[in-house]
This record gives sequence, C-alpha cells and structure tokens, in this order.
Amino acid sequence: MTTLKAKDYRSGIEPVWCTGCGDFGVLKGLTQALSDLEIVPERLAVISGIGCSSRLPGYTKSYAFNSIHGRALPIATGLKLARPDITTIVVGGDGDGFSIGLGHLPHAIRRNPDLTYAVLDNGIYGLTKGQASPTTEVDFKQERGLAGPDERPLNPVLLVLSSGCGYVARTHAGNLPHLRETLREAIRYSGFAFVHVLAGCVTYQTPSYAEQIYQRCDLLPADYDPTDLIRAMEVARGPRFQLGVIFRRDPGVAPRMGEMEGQAEGGVWPPVTQPLGQEPPSDVEFPGG
Amino acid sequence: MNPASTVSPVTREGGALPTNARSVVITIVGSGGDGVALLGDLLLGMAAEQGIYGMMVQSYGPQIRGGESAVMLRLSEREVQFEGDEADLLVCFRIADLRRFQGAVRLHPKSSVIVESTDPTELPEWLGTTEQPSHRYPFATFENGVEVAGPPKNMKALALITRMLGWDPEFARTTLRKRFGHKPNALSTNIVAFNAELDAEGLASLAHLRARGTALHVETGNEAIARGAILAGLGFFAGYPITPSSEVMETVIEELPALGGRVVQAEDEIAALGMVLGASFGGVPAMTATSGPGLSLMTEMLGLSSMAELPAVIVDCQRAGPATGMPSRTEQSDLFHAVFGGHGDFPRAVLGVYDVVHAREVMSKAFYLSETYQLPVLVLSDAYIAQRRQIRDVPISQTGSVLRRRWTLADGPARFSLDGSHGVNAFRVPGTPGGTYPAAGIEHTPEGLPTSDTSMHHQMNAKRFRKLNAIAAETVGWFRVLGRDDAPHGVVAWGSQYGILREWVEKHPEWRVFLPEIIHPFPLAGFRAWSAGLESAAVIELSYQGQFHRYLSGLTDLSKFRSLGRSGGVPLTSSELARMLEVKS
Repeated sequence: MTTLKAKDYRSGIEPVWCTGCGDFGVLKGLTQALSDLEIVPERLAVISGIGCSSRLPGYTKSYAFNSIHGRALPIATGLKLARPDITTIVVGGDGDGFSIGLGHLPHAIRRNPDLTYAVLDNGIYGLTKGQASPTTEVDFKQERGLAGPDERPLNPVLLVLSSGCGYVARTHAGNLPHLRETLREAIRYSGFAFVHVLAGCVTYQTPSYAEQIYQRCDLLPADYDPTDLIRAMEVARGPRFQLGVIFRRDPGVAPRMGEMEGQAEGGVWPPVTQPLGQEPPSDVEFPGG
Repeated sequence: MNPASTVSPVTREGGALPTNARSVVITIVGSGGDGVALLGDLLLGMAAEQGIYGMMVQSYGPQIRGGESAVMLRLSEREVQFEGDEADLLVCFRIADLRRFQGAVRLHPKSSVIVESTDPTELPEWLGTTEQPSHRYPFATFENGVEVAGPPKNMKALALITRMLGWDPEFARTTLRKRFGHKPNALSTNIVAFNAELDAEGLASLAHLRARGTALHVETGNEAIARGAILAGLGFFAGYPITPSSEVMETVIEELPALGGRVVQAEDEIAALGMVLGASFGGVPAMTATSGPGLSLMTEMLGLSSMAELPAVIVDCQRAGPATGMPSRTEQSDLFHAVFGGHGDFPRAVLGVYDVVHAREVMSKAFYLSETYQLPVLVLSDAYIAQRRQIRDVPISQTGSVLRRRWTLADGPARFSLDGSHGVNAFRVPGTPGGTYPAAGIEHTPEGLPTSDTSMHHQMNAKRFRKLNAIAAETVGWFRVLGRDDAPHGVVAWGSQYGILREWVEKHPEWRVFLPEIIHPFPLAGFRAWSAGLESAAVIELSYQGQFHRYLSGLTDLSKFRSLGRSGGVPLTSSELARMLEVKS
C-alpha cells in the first residue's frame, strides 16, 4: 500500500471559510494526523452538526456526514456502535457542541464509545453572523452589545472532566505541529476523546482574536502528570489556556460501549467481507415474501 | 419477485369466519394491591394453554402505578381483536373503584356480578342492570372492623371464575405452581386461598368454551412490534422510555443482543433517532419506538432521514395528547404529525397497525419500504394495541432472506444521482473502497455537495418524491376490506378500529369497511373501488378534530362521508358505534 499523505484525505472541494479562518489549520492538522495513523479513507467517517466548522467533513475524503445542528454526537455514537470497524471523528463548533447540543455531551462521555470529538471553539456564532456563543467572553459581549452581557461563559474542559471524560486535550489552531500531534493521539486513544481547539474567527471576533488567545496559552510542563484528575481540574480552572493532554485515563479502566464481552463484533451489518454488488429494488426479498 | 403481488393480497374477511363462535367477557375491578392484573394474566395464560383465544386490556387511574385498576378479559373460541363491551361477569373488590371506569364497564341483562360482601355501596346506575342477583362474597379480611391483609382476594376470585368457566381446579393449581414455584411462601399462601371452601351457591355458570387442545401464544402489541422488527433484520435499536411504548425497547433489549444486534437507551428521543440514523448511515437496519411526545422531539431528525436518504423505522404507540395528555390512554391523533410533521417537503411512508398479529407483519413491510426506498417509515400503533395481551396462533418462524440495502462499488452512479430508478440510488456502506461521499442535511448536488441552487433544489425534491410514487404503485393493495362488497353503508377507519369493526360487519351485514394498512401514500384506487355504490358512509376514528377524515378530504371527494370521530381515552364500544352510526343495536 502506498503511503497516504495529508492531501490524500482532502475531498478536492475548496473550503468556503473566510481567509485567515482558524478552521483551515484544523483541516490541515486533522489530515496530517490521519496520514500519520495511515487510516484508509474508506474506513473513516467524519461527522458534524451545523456551523462554520461543521463544514469540515465535506472537505475530507471520508464517509462524511454534515447533519443537523447539535446532533453530531448521537449520530456518531450510532454509527460507531453499529460499525466498530469505522474510525469515527466528530467535529463542530462551540455553539453546536456547548449550546444546542450540550445535552448529548455527558451521555456520549459516559457511554465512552471510541470517538474523537474536536470542538473548534472560536467563541462566536460565525455562520449566523456574530451572535454570542456559550464561550463568548463577557467583556466582548458588553463591548459589542451582544446578548447575555451578564452571562458568564462556560468552561468546556472543566465540563468534560467533571463528566468523566477519559481523554481531554487542548490545542490551538495556529500551532500546526501541536494540533497534528494532539489530534493524532486523541484518535489513537481507545475511548471517547475530547479535544478543545482554540480557533479564531477573523470576521466576527476582533482580527487579532486568535493571536490574543494564543498569547494566553502555555504548553503544559514536561513533567505534568495527565493521570491526576484533581490537578487536571485545577488546570482547567486556571486563568490561562494550558495546551496539551490535560487528562488521560488508562483506556482499560472504563468499559467502552459496544466492546463489552461477547459483543465486540456483533451487529455489524452487512459483514464487510461480503462481496459487493448491485441489486435492483425489485429483487429485494424480505420476510414473509 | 414482486412484493406487491406476493406479500399484500387484499385481505377479505367477514364472511368466512365462524360467527357461531362463543365468547365470555370478564371484567375485574379493584384497588392497587388486589392483584387484579395478575388474576387477568393467570386466566389469559390458562386460556392460551388450553387453546382458547382471547385478549385482555388493562385500565388504570391517572397514575401509571398504584390506584384503581381494571382488567377486561375476553375469552373466545376464535381469534378476537376486541375485548367486548358488556361483561358476562363482573368481579369487583371495591365498588367505589368502579367510578374510574365509567363508560368502560357495562352489564347486560344476563350478566353475573360478584362483589365484596362487606361493601355496603350500591352498584352505580350507569353500569346497566342485570336480571341476575349480585353474588356477595367475602374477599376481604377484617380485624376489629379494619381491613387487613388476608388470603389473597385474587386467588379466591380465581377459584370462583375457573369454576364458572368449567375449568379443572387442578389445572389452576398446576398453573399457580408454575408461576410461583420459585417463591414457596407465595405459592402456599395462594394455594390455600384458592382451595378455601367455596360458597358458590346461586352462581350462574359462564359459557364453557371449546378448547383447541393445543397451546396458543400470548403476546402484547409492543412485544409483537419488537419481534417483527427482529425478524425483519433489525440490527440496531435506540429508544427512550415512554408510556405506552417502553416494552418495545424492553423486548428488544431482551432478544436482540443475543442475535448480534445493538440496543441503546438514549438520553432523549432526539438522540434516539440520531443514533438510529448513525447506524443506518453505517449500513445497519435500525429503528426506534416512541409515543407522541417523543415523535414531536424526533421531527427534525425525521426530515434529516429523508433528506440524507437514510432508512429508518419509527414506531409511534399513540396515546391521548397533546403535550403530556393521558399517557396510558389510547388515541389516533398523531396521524397529522406522522403524515405531515416536519419543516420542508419530504417523502416518508406511514403504516397503521391493526392488531397484535398484524404488528409482526407490518414491521417486515416497514423495513422493506424503508430499506428499499431509503426514507423514514413511520408505524402507527396505539396504547390499545401496545398494551393489550392477545392470544394468537403460535407464530410460524419466517423463512426467506432478510432484506438487503442496495450497495455498490466505487464506479457506480453518484450517491444522490437524479437518474436513480424511482429516485433511489445504490447505498454506499462505509468500508466500501472508493465509495466515500458526503451525506448532508443541507440541500446537495448529486455528489452530496452543498448547494443553494434553486433549480437543483427543485430537481432533488422531485427525485426524492419519485420514491413516493413508486411506493404508491407497489402498495396499491395494502388495505383490508370487511363485509359484503355490495353492502349499502360504509365505514372507513384505520389501525386498531379493525378489531371492533370486524365483529360489527358480522352483526350488521348492511355495512362494509375499508381499513388502509398504508396510510401515506394512501391506497386511493382501492378506496375508490371499495366505495362505489355506497348509499351512506362515515369515517370512524379516535381524534377530536377528525384527523383521518380531514386527511382523506384532501385526497378524494368525501362529501358522502360523515366525520364521526371522538377524543380518545377508551376505545369505542359496540353500543357507542351503533349510536354513532344510528343503527339500532
């Protein structure tokens, strides 16, 4: 098999994101991570909801699904449980994942299917032109006259840690090598992996937003112990954004749904080894026929 | 093989049935703790074991657990889908509890009545009168004038009822031993109460029904839905608990994993249908089951299923709505939602369930349509079917291959090609080399790429709706007619009205009945042919607005048809039907 390069994971469709959008970096980092892992495109599914970043699946060469707002996690969970052989990645934005779709997040975490969920957090609703999201900062809302000037932003990393997520990492869309490595290790993690990707919106945030956020980032120290949940929560609560693997539980500790004893291969239909062929609808047989 | 010709011949019923078959209607009313449901269940199980048909429905107060409870049990020499409306025997442990069941319990002139002997209350007038004197029996146990737990009332009643039915007491004792064998204390308490000396002086006997001698099968509507789906190739189920559909999920949990399928109890109904669509995107036949409130939550996903052309089967066990409504009560008022619910124009098929036996069959049809045409198929059951226990012939295990989704190699047509036969293109199952494609809820090109081109949107709508034309052509015969073809009066109804109407036409040969199995697209040609020559006709349904009548009015000329719906709650009774249709009963 010839080695797959990052560009081999691109669908050939040009993104419609604004020039300078942080989502370009995420697309690049993701395709690099996939090439590092040598996952063949036909074994890959990329699932999203709705939003600027939710357009990403269509730019990948995969079984892609740009579904409806906030519902990527249930769809990906159903796919992964029905087809454990398919590497399944979920991408979306802060509005999609932390507002309309938030109710699904703790349940995906407690089910712990082998999914990677990357939230591209730019702290704004870009697609609908600049409304406040659950992670928009208070100062910015007051300055721009956005809704909820007295509503505090939520803390995504603390939220997923408290829900029991086994793999929690943070990266920045502007740091491509770090992004590549973080996504690669998240995909490699066996179980539900959450990646908080800080990204800029050049149109509805201030033009220097991505840079300002990056100035507030630090790499986690080399001697940081990601198995310490209390320490991870302290990191999550800190005033600055720590980049890297914030928490990592041994994947053997919590059961992954669908991989319980006796169920590992059950339910895969049709079996992927079955020869492929076309059948006209009139040839379809069904019980009682 | 053409499924239209082999699977769904028009079922003509009415004339050939043994109308001399006898039946017995038994109604038992009590409070929580009296064991009313267990008593009904034991009687029904004993009937099935002997080869006597029947069915049982339960009724509760507003809470689902506790409070007043009633079972209506009908035993018959032939299969029945209607519990009967006038009790041949009423057993009542506490007369005050009857109040909750006004309208659901009635007597006829020959009814036997057994009531608690210490209860001073008079039987209410609405119950109707019987020429038979009430038989007073001491079910309750008292100490110092206060009722205390004593020998189980339901076992004393079991002894009386089995004697009236002419059933061998030893058969009842064997049944109790089987049921309580693992609980020796409960068994001995029950046997002692059952054996207590009976003062059955003056108690009339009930019809001694002919038994077939070979055991029959007891199944609820929800169990039948689950088993029908499993037989049809179900590989993935996700659901959320809701009355009256929860037992579909419970049965699937018990029976599907052993066959290699997956079941998830989702966090809500949105997630449930989302997971179903995810599994379906992965090529696995998938379904969910819910009731009205859940269907409301699923509505956006329903459109996604049709737009992304992902097969999905959604069972709605209808209950009285709107909002929370009356969760344990039946109604037929989700019809509009099933047929029209959702934003935008999208094709879906809607099937109705007639009874427990049909529930298995309809699921194979639902999966067939869904998998073949790559769209959502809704199956409308209701609380009346879902919660009833019906005795049926032992199901014959179905043979023949499970339906297959069409799938393709990489060089096939585009996933959403406008040229697909009947609007359908080969499905691309993940794992197929070179088959990658983008699926989307956003309007898309034949390749699946987002578009806001008006012409493409129109062409895609036309392509997707071509499926509905093909389904309509294939399902022209998916309905049942009852009664004589030349009967001057007609009733059109759907779903669980089948049970009462089947018996109605036997007693009233001047009536014919049309019941669609597929409600959308509606089998219009069959309906028009059936309605030829009618002098008068009516639409019967459990919907305050008359949803079915209104729906049909949009499809064909209904000027001859009166709309005779009412709100749900309890199913129609024969006397009520006679009143509605202005027929002397």
